[in-house]
Amino acid sequence: MPEDAVQVKVFRYNPDTDKEPHYETYKVPYTQGMVVLDVLNYISEHYDGSLAYRWACRAGQCGSCAMIINGKPRAACRTLVEKGKPLTITPLVQFPVVKDLVVDYERGTRRLVKIKPYVQRLKSPSRPEIISKEDIVDVKEIRGCIECWACVSACPVVGEAWQEFAGPLIHRQLARLKLDKRDTEERVKTAFIEGLYDCTTCKTCVEVCPKKIDIPGKAIEKMRAIAVKEGLGPLEGQKPFIEAIERTGRSVERQSTPLLEQVPDVIDVDDPIDEVAFFTGCLVDYRLQSTGFNALEVLKRNRIKVHIPKAQSSCASPAFRSGVVDLAHQQVKKNVDALEKLGITKVISLCAGCAMTMKNDFPAVTKKIYNREPNYKVYDFTEYLVREVGIDKLNIKDLGEIKMKVTYHDPCHLNRGQGIHDEPRQLIKLIPGITFIEMEEADRCCGSGGGVRTGRRPLSMALARRKAEFIIKSGADAVITECPFCLIQIRDILNQLGYQHIQVYNVPDLMAMAYNKTK
Amino acid sequence: MTYETIDTDVLVIGAGGAGARAAIEAANHNVMVTLLSKELLGKAHTCMAEGGVNATFANVDPPDNWEVHFKDTIEGGAWINNQKLVEILTREACDRIMDLEEYGAIFDRTPEGKIMQRPFGKQTYRRTCYAADRTGHEMMVTLTEEIRRRDVDVMEEVFVTNLLAKDNQVQGAVGISFKTGSLLVFKAKATILASGGGGRVYKITSNAAQDTGDGYAVAYHAGCRLLDMEMVQFHPTGMVFPESHRGCLVTEGVRGEGGLLKNIKGERFMQRYDAKRMELAGRDVVARANATEILEGRGTEHGGVYLDVTHLPPHIIEERLPTMLEQFLDVGVDIRKEPMEVAPTAHHLMGGVEINENAETTLKGMYAAGEIAGGVHGGNRLGGNALADTQVFGKRAGENAAMFAKKSSMPIIDRSQVEKEANKISTILERKEGIRPHEIKNRLQTLMWDKVGIFRTGQELQEAVQAIEEMKAKDLPRLFVMDKHTRYNKELIETFEIENMLTIAEMIAKAALMREESRGAHFRKDFPKTDNKNWFANIYIQKKMGQMTLTKLPVVVTTLKPEGA
Repeated sequence: MPEDAVQVKVFRYNPDTDKEPHYETYKVPYTQGMVVLDVLNYISEHYDGSLAYRWACRAGQCGSCAMIINGKPRAACRTLVEKGKPLTITPLVQFPVVKDLVVDYERGTRRLVKIKPYVQRLKSPSRPEIISKEDIVDVKEIRGCIECWACVSACPVVGEAWQEFAGPLIHRQLARLKLDKRDTEERVKTAFIEGLYDCTTCKTCVEVCPKKIDIPGKAIEKMRAIAVKEGLGPLEGQKPFIEAIERTGRSVERQSTPLLEQVPDVIDVDDPIDEVAFFTGCLVDYRLQSTGFNALEVLKRNRIKVHIPKAQSSCASPAFRSGVVDLAHQQVKKNVDALEKLGITKVISLCAGCAMTMKNDFPAVTKKIYNREPNYKVYDFTEYLVREVGIDKLNIKDLGEIKMKVTYHDPCHLNRGQGIHDEPRQLIKLIPGITFIEMEEADRCCGSGGGVRTGRRPLSMALARRKAEFIIKSGADAVITECPFCLIQIRDILNQLGYQHIQVYNVPDLMAMAYNKTK
Repeated sequence: MTYETIDTDVLVIGAGGAGARAAIEAANHNVMVTLLSKELLGKAHTCMAEGGVNATFANVDPPDNWEVHFKDTIEGGAWINNQKLVEILTREACDRIMDLEEYGAIFDRTPEGKIMQRPFGKQTYRRTCYAADRTGHEMMVTLTEEIRRRDVDVMEEVFVTNLLAKDNQVQGAVGISFKTGSLLVFKAKATILASGGGGRVYKITSNAAQDTGDGYAVAYHAGCRLLDMEMVQFHPTGMVFPESHRGCLVTEGVRGEGGLLKNIKGERFMQRYDAKRMELAGRDVVARANATEILEGRGTEHGGVYLDVTHLPPHIIEERLPTMLEQFLDVGVDIRKEPMEVAPTAHHLMGGVEINENAETTLKGMYAAGEIAGGVHGGNRLGGNALADTQVFGKRAGENAAMFAKKSSMPIIDRSQVEKEANKISTILERKEGIRPHEIKNRLQTLMWDKVGIFRTGQELQEAVQAIEEMKAKDLPRLFVMDKHTRYNKELIETFEIENMLTIAEMIAKAALMREESRGAHFRKDFPKTDNKNWFANIYIQKKMGQMTLTKLPVVVTTLKPEGA
């Protein structure tokens, strides 16, 4: 066997004959461009013809070969094998194993068929039927599903409450039908009953989808917007936040002096290397003022001039995520006007939700209002420091030592929402004395997003508990994140579980702590 | 071995485009329908069809009509199509596509809101309807939705090992359930075979894993007559690297949208093969052109030719060829910026089970539709005609099978045929050593590619026939599987597949040897010319007294005849 052979650990189980599942390890020679399906075919031909797995098209078009590859559901035919990197292959979860990597989808299809997953017409169409080009745009975006069930296997909400939440695949099909003008069924009502408001918009389904269908964005949120119009949404628990935005421009009620009332319009530094605008978001302004001050301290230490426009307001993420479209659009205008007035080209936020909303949702709205995208660029705080300032240009010498074991929780709206995964870790690791522990499933949703914390608290806490298990298991003294929502959620659950000694910080908190060790 | 017997009115074998459509139609006629699928529902090869489906809506080219489509199909088919079937295909395609739209299909639109149509190879007008480059998927998803609406008993992952037939009448089938490994017996008043193609007999193929041509073999053994088995379409453009993607389809839609074929010197070589139609010549012509360029040393490093769309605006590629864009990005090629490398790949069997206008086979109570059926496409199939075929003949098969079932009583099956299958399974499971099925499979696939491929000679075909006979005699009795349990035993299923594949391979090779001329997809280097005087004919194959018998018979002609015939 050549040295660059791939080490493959495969789940094996025949319920007819085996007491319990076990793993077997094989060595498979690596060849350029090989995919996981090639590995399985090699094992079947050279080691064990009894290995059961499904495949058909080998081109990502049929969805037969979904399985969990190194922890994530993937289509085996489209997953490239990395030279020298071991593979672990297990069957999809949520479905009973037929044998080895083959599962029985009956549970899923039974659920799917219940929603009447087909176009229901009241009368036959004219022949030919005229369907305008514009009418199929929205449907086409979510039509490419190959029913591989990877999303259902990966979805954290399905993992906690499949009985309540029908799952991404089925909600996509409901949206496909609702957005199809030929269909006459009450799809939104069905979607509402099937847990339309249970989705945390964590985008795990998008990450694992072989067709990259944006189910939260193109199905769930569009359906929520219609649900709001039809009076079904938002949920009771979400209403105060929406109303608060309408009333005050902030999604939460004032408790102590807001950050914006404590800081000047501009924080100047000597010999600035750059100039940015700071977008606080509701929680940093009203709840986590210290995190705001810490971020400003880190920017100051790195000689960055900061503008803090006082006319800024809620990014309206709660409104976007729960389908309250009109309010969301008003907020976009308010914020874009305030930020553009400064003439600054870079806007940073340390709230994953705000930054994602400003990056992903604002441009579409300004295109409608102003027929153009905003004239500034939005950065997450860590993204700005690592990619824009540059990690080698950061003020590292003033970071004092912190003796602490820390782990990091990926906010969904930062990791999958903005593609920022390494940057926070790079910054944490800069701090002397820090021991970094990667927890298992660091990118698992904590359950706070998508209006689930406010609208579906028990479900949200169930998701948080699962997250907490991995945090606790990591043995870290503190968990670091980069999102005020995640921070509050994780702090809550750790307190509930009696683990209040595990500290929860945002990245700027930890960095400021290190800077404050030096003067 | 115990087994369960399931009674039904209409048994449909195969759940791709044709089978699903047949099941829907049969259900419309108020009979019990059982739909067997070798794979999971919706994952049949139809979902991989990319470029489109032909129907003369004349939405973009007003002069188009069924008669032009008819002529294009006959000429494209090198004249040996059954003209009665072609007339049905071309007359009914529009209605069948409108059926799909009624079920919920979403085809791309013209500005007026009609179905958009793109040009395809060797067709006079733009008549190929499409949903980006995932038309087959759109159709399969739609049919799956429609099947789920209806009262059709869908049985997934059932592999049919044999048809039950007696006195020239089919009475049902025997199958194995993948999931449990148990034997199932289906008693049916009427049976529809819609089991798809057999591209997997070739080493390089666009076909999915399950396309091992089982239907051709079971139909043959049940006594059905088949025709045109020598006519194997090699699609001109399959992927060439990496190895795992070799043969994967690169849709004709790429050329339809303006893709150019070039050799290593950058020359648009189609100039030398078909200066008029260039890249949109018939698939047979383009496949041979690509193969010739590669064989004569003007190919790329990976053994292909270039297929280039870099001159097209990126948004056109993104909107109309998203699957291709993704498929090549997967292997590190951005087709917006660099050319694809492509080479011919075994794609479609034009030949198959003989049917009449009612999709009836030569056996009573048995119908066939889709790729398994022969006669529609003659010696070369036009791109976009296969999807149309599935719908037109799928519907006819469903309708006629249902009507036949309504006037028939439940047949009495010959249990000894079931015992035979059961014994076969036990014998294989009990065998302690021998040859594993994939070993024979690999050998056969290489043999077929090397000796029964794009360019053929009498001598090589002779060698192939001999090698196949040897494999049948020496290897089949030694088939051995590692797994001795029946639950999801892929290798056990493969033993049946390989036996079927040898039968099809034998049919293809023998018919190719018999046809001493070149026509359509069949090219004999030792007989490079088309011989209309002697070979304007079809070769029919039937099992007689246990022997494979080949007979030359006249083409079914209604209107058009080639010169010199």
